[in-house]
Amino acid sequence: MRPLDWAVLLAAMVGIVAYGVWKGRRTRDLDDFLVADRRMRWHHVALSIMATQASAVTFLATPGQAFADGMRFVQVYFGLPVAMVILSVTAVPLYHRLKVYTAYEYLEGRFDLKTRTLAALLFLALRGLSTGVSLYAPSVILSVIMGWDIRVVILIIGGAVMLYASMGGARAVDNTNFLQFLIIMGGMFVAFFTIVRLLPADVSFLEATHVAGRLGRLNAVDFSFDITNQYNFWSGLVGGCFLALAYFGTDQSQVQRYLTGESVTQSRLGLLFNGMVKVQMQFFILFLGAMVFAFYQFTQPPVFFNPVQLERAREGAQGTQFRALEAEHAAAFEEKQRAARAYVGALRAGDDGAADAASRELLSAQERANGVRASAVEVIREFDKKPNDTNYVFLSFVTHYMPAGLVGLVLAAVFFASMSSTASEWSALAATTVVDIQRRLLKRDASDRFYFVSSKLATVFWGLFAVAFAQYAGQLGSLVEAVNRLGSLFYGTLLGIFLLGFYFKRVRGTAAFCGAIAGEAAVLYCFFYTSLAFLWYNVVGALVVVAAALLVNPLTGEEKKN
Amino acid sequence: MTDEARKHSQAEEPPPIGGSWKTLYAVVLLTLAVLVVLFHLFTRAFR
Repeated sequence: MRPLDWAVLLAAMVGIVAYGVWKGRRTRDLDDFLVADRRMRWHHVALSIMATQASAVTFLATPGQAFADGMRFVQVYFGLPVAMVILSVTAVPLYHRLKVYTAYEYLEGRFDLKTRTLAALLFLALRGLSTGVSLYAPSVILSVIMGWDIRVVILIIGGAVMLYASMGGARAVDNTNFLQFLIIMGGMFVAFFTIVRLLPADVSFLEATHVAGRLGRLNAVDFSFDITNQYNFWSGLVGGCFLALAYFGTDQSQVQRYLTGESVTQSRLGLLFNGMVKVQMQFFILFLGAMVFAFYQFTQPPVFFNPVQLERAREGAQGTQFRALEAEHAAAFEEKQRAARAYVGALRAGDDGAADAASRELLSAQERANGVRASAVEVIREFDKKPNDTNYVFLSFVTHYMPAGLVGLVLAAVFFASMSSTASEWSALAATTVVDIQRRLLKRDASDRFYFVSSKLATVFWGLFAVAFAQYAGQLGSLVEAVNRLGSLFYGTLLGIFLLGFYFKRVRGTAAFCGAIAGEAAVLYCFFYTSLAFLWYNVVGALVVVAAALLVNPLTGEEKKN
Repeated sequence: MTDEARKHSQAEEPPPIGGSWKTLYAVVLLTLAVLVVLFHLFTRAFR
């Protein structure tokens, strides 16, 4: 980090907090604080939705994913546009007509209080824990890359978000999300063009792309059907659609974003815009990772991208062996680079036979380099049981190769990505705490002013909780992983309850409740006893909830009563 | 017009582009179909 980078990062951080505070300065009542007085235009709704979904990990892990495994991850998003259309038809007009603050309010009118409370508590528990993890995860990476204490990074992100989210509520959150997302995408485009510019002068962009493709990094679509593999067209379209329906239709952190729309039209346009551009955006970020991979075919990469673990391995008990592996890796790289240039030369000459021979040589050189890297990872495993440098690939490139000023811009974009999703989560947690728990169960007849102040305090509470959880998340080990997995275990069931509400008018509360238990049991069975890819859990959970509720409904007697 | 009726009429309000919501939904789904085809061609071209 050079002085110019520090200046850009500092200016961006101070600027965005000031902007958030300024935008939220006129927040005066509960409506304003929880749903921005329902006055947002579609472009604000759209970018706020996208900024909420795309956390810092998205922008760090996704290029790393393409670097290590290729672009097949893009297929996870194939179901999202379909989900946006379904939600525009069903959920958006319904939530607007009922003028709800949270998605769970709808469940009480449709079913009963216990169903509403169950869904709200489920959201608070899962999102409350995961917001700590989503603060912790990028902080680990940023602290390693910037050489800062992780506690400082967590406090900077948490403190900045708390300032504007607790003062301005949804209005401040949506406005900052909008601006942050523009800067994030700007940073990603700058990074992409820098990579292209840094390719060797004798290798064109198209030729570098061919090298990445030949080494299996441009595998965007796979039509083979395999329910144990979530990265194929069918898993992405069906499982991805159910996941997106659950996330955008039942998770308050997203529902709150389109509840701020000034009309059904504005909210719908926001969701549909997301459906129109999200897949391309993910494709672009993955392609960015594939281009980092192509760049490292012509520039020596480190044997491992996490600088702290790399240094520890060099200085550890097996340091001599590790350094020998690094030298071997460098030799393998030279060999691979020669093969890559031979492949590019053959492509340029239009010599198919030579291109085939060079590509075989390239693939075998790649295998040799992978073998050396695997041995180096084994050395690192001596002091870290799960060594993984995927999340460090992109930022390692940024900090080593991007020009002064632009490093600061990209780091600011990563901070913003973390802040935007965190802010939406805290705002949604506060809304659910006050509307579904405090106002409904604890203190029903207080003034608007009381709930307004309570919402501010609830935002501060969830902020402090997330910061505290993030501070200790590193010591919790497998719990962090468990929290990350937990969401995917409950989304299908939550979606099933809402699908019953939207589409099966005869189904009443008790049947929905029984359906939810059956759906959850089915998901847990799949999790513990099958190798089903996790995207399919959402399908299984939602369908079992619906089927079980339809079976139980006639037996409850509530159907006739209502 | 009552508040409730106004909300209902808002729900039926046509989108600012495309003429009708059905057309707009079709455009979103068609875009997805085109993207899948393009990604497939991309995968084949660079493998």
